[in-house]
Amino acid sequence: MQLTKHWAGALDDYAIDLAWSSEGSVLAAASASGPITLFTAADGQRRHELPGHEGGVNALAWRNSSVLASGGQDGQVKYWDPQAGSHVATTSLGRSWVEHLAWRPGDTGPELAAAAGRALTLIDGEGAIRHRFPDAPKTLSAIAWHPGGGCLACSCFGKVTLWDSDAYLVQKEFPYANGILALAWSTDGRWLVSGNQDPSVHLWVPEEDMELQMSGYETKVRHLDFDLTGRWLATGGGREACVWDCAGPGPEGREPRMLPHDAPVCALAYQNAHGLLATAAADGAVMLWSPERQQPLRATVKMPVAASRLAWAPDDGLLAIGTEKGAVYVLRCTA
Amino acid sequence: MSSDTIPVTVLTGFLGAGKTTLLNRILTEQHGRKLAVIENEFGEIGIDHQLVVQSDEELFEMNNGCICCSVRGDLIRILQRLLKRKDRLDGILIETTGLANPAPVAQTFFTDEEMRARFRLDAIITVVDARNAGRHLDAGDESVKQVAFADVILLNKTDLVAPAEVDALESRIRAINAVAHIHRTRECDLPLKEVLDVGGFNLERASEIDPKFLEPEYPFEWAGAYSLPAGTHELVIGHGEGEEAGHDHDHSHDHDHAHHHPHGNENELELVVMRVQSTDEKDWAPARDAAVLVYSDWEQRVAVGEPVAPGATLHRLMLKESRGTYPLKIAEAGLYMVFEQCGGDPLHILVAGETVKPDWQRDFHIAHEHTEDVTSVGIRQQGELDPKKLNEWVSELLRVRGADIYRMKGVLNVRGTPKRLVFQGVHMLFDAKFDREWGSDSRTSSLVFIGKNLDRTALTEAFKACLCS
Repeated sequence: MQLTKHWAGALDDYAIDLAWSSEGSVLAAASASGPITLFTAADGQRRHELPGHEGGVNALAWRNSSVLASGGQDGQVKYWDPQAGSHVATTSLGRSWVEHLAWRPGDTGPELAAAAGRALTLIDGEGAIRHRFPDAPKTLSAIAWHPGGGCLACSCFGKVTLWDSDAYLVQKEFPYANGILALAWSTDGRWLVSGNQDPSVHLWVPEEDMELQMSGYETKVRHLDFDLTGRWLATGGGREACVWDCAGPGPEGREPRMLPHDAPVCALAYQNAHGLLATAAADGAVMLWSPERQQPLRATVKMPVAASRLAWAPDDGLLAIGTEKGAVYVLRCTA
Repeated sequence: MSSDTIPVTVLTGFLGAGKTTLLNRILTEQHGRKLAVIENEFGEIGIDHQLVVQSDEELFEMNNGCICCSVRGDLIRILQRLLKRKDRLDGILIETTGLANPAPVAQTFFTDEEMRARFRLDAIITVVDARNAGRHLDAGDESVKQVAFADVILLNKTDLVAPAEVDALESRIRAINAVAHIHRTRECDLPLKEVLDVGGFNLERASEIDPKFLEPEYPFEWAGAYSLPAGTHELVIGHGEGEEAGHDHDHSHDHDHAHHHPHGNENELELVVMRVQSTDEKDWAPARDAAVLVYSDWEQRVAVGEPVAPGATLHRLMLKESRGTYPLKIAEAGLYMVFEQCGGDPLHILVAGETVKPDWQRDFHIAHEHTEDVTSVGIRQQGELDPKKLNEWVSELLRVRGADIYRMKGVLNVRGTPKRLVFQGVHMLFDAKFDREWGSDSRTSSLVFIGKNLDRTALTEAFKACLCS
């Protein structure tokens, strides 16, 4: 397996988010200071520079390949037309930073969930507010759509709430007496997992009223990702990426696969349609793994600075790496 | 502590005390330094600044809301976002609301490993409004904590208050927090080196405890040394008829609020007279210590007109309308020290009808009659400590009393190492390490506790019990 440089680009500041359009022709990269650059996947050409947000961007989210949404420090959600490179709509959500964005999966039409401070809002494809949920007791720390789209999970210090995204009613509430930093649903929608401040990961199976707590991490757990089957859960939280087997009754009592780095893991991402896991550490190392294999390490590259973000292109052929110094590298992954 | 961590300065103080003024001053004067400001939700920084983030103070209360286990979730979130930039910041300023408890702020930098790795808490600066502080301290809680937690205290708006009142306030603040650096300011005007890069939470500097503040508290507020001939003179307490301004001694407690008469009785004043050889410290210090002993003895009530004499007698002068004249019998000419319980009462000695000026005088840090629940206890102790005993004592102390111990710091002389053990704590959280060797310094342990309902005697005895037997 080989990782080779495809192209590189530069942002004016820390690469805070990366997102591929759904057909993979455009990579959107947001700088922490504000602007968003649209790169052509094939050659790294800067197709458009979007002004982004005053004070900085926090998050990007594509709706297919037709709309790019961004959330910023200015409390706004903006929609952009990636072909024309133009601004389409702005939705103001208040003074709080817009920190989390996620489009509803499924084919019910465009609906974007946005978390800003304690407020969770659903926005339609034109930028109009469709629903604002009652404020959470503390700042929302993560949101995640159930793969079926009918349920939206959101977390704050102390609990996870599952909202019915059509009836706008609470489906379930899971108290958790600590800070929650990340949420992820397994691809099959069975597991909901939180990465926590304490440091641990907590797993729920909402349909079966089952929950598990996996602790023993070196540091708080901010990075979570499931593989395409929903069986393997990769987590950060120290100098090793830790992969749990969530088949059947789940990881309790099973030894996780430990994938070692020399520095704290700062990003990880499973491929979309294949089984490779990419992990990045604070020393600039980026590694590719086949975690279920006896010899899991498949490839290593060393970047000059730590990665801030990893993103696989939809066809898994390209891996985009954003860095703390603003460089964006796109590597080709070949067998 | 590594130098590539970003220093964090926390500004606390009640509403209107002048936090914003200080913040604006720092931002205006710090050209070329890239500072980010996290201001509270009511904040209103007056100058344009790129990096101002407003925040609502969001507590993460672990363990059923125990304050010792709480951190500021909003700070973790905002600081993490502030780290996401290509160029390193030179510093962070955090302005809290007037009602904020500083403990969770400090604990954020002790507990969260990422915060610990990337930031260092430099100091907690508390701005106090000299006009209203007395009232706020009376009302209690958060303002007292803000004073207790502070590394630096700005007594601000001193131009709007009489100097005697500022003196009284300062001694009251000093009784709560014996180790903070106190500055008197108008409009928070002071050199920025006094508030930035102070190193209040730096273990290397934990040892910079002014020994003056480790003094025990005394049962008297003032002492003066007088050269007196043999004979019977007059000791006069209170203002004489028609002479309001004739104080012999000018000291810092001459204020209504600073009267500490036993049981609040304005007409009783305790007094000891001791003979000394000179006004050298080697001579007056033993006299002072002897006077402390006498003060712990039974008092002898002395009515107006009854005699007062040097020696091991605790005179309790029974005043009439805060005044009284007593014959002072001096058998042999020499230097005599008068230890006066309350410095607020004017005291004169008349020899042949003429007022005698003291050759020397000094104020003492009085043992307040527990007017403050929150106090400082300083301990200085010779001798090597047994590491095992010390560890057991500190663990148990913090387990049982952690909620009441706001801050502690010190330098310890531990057996089996040439190095000093320096430590620093906030509630139950604790950091300790060996720093440099003692070298030619006296191997004296010193430590300070600041907290609520501290028992000086019990702490001192328990600490002594950790000495190697």
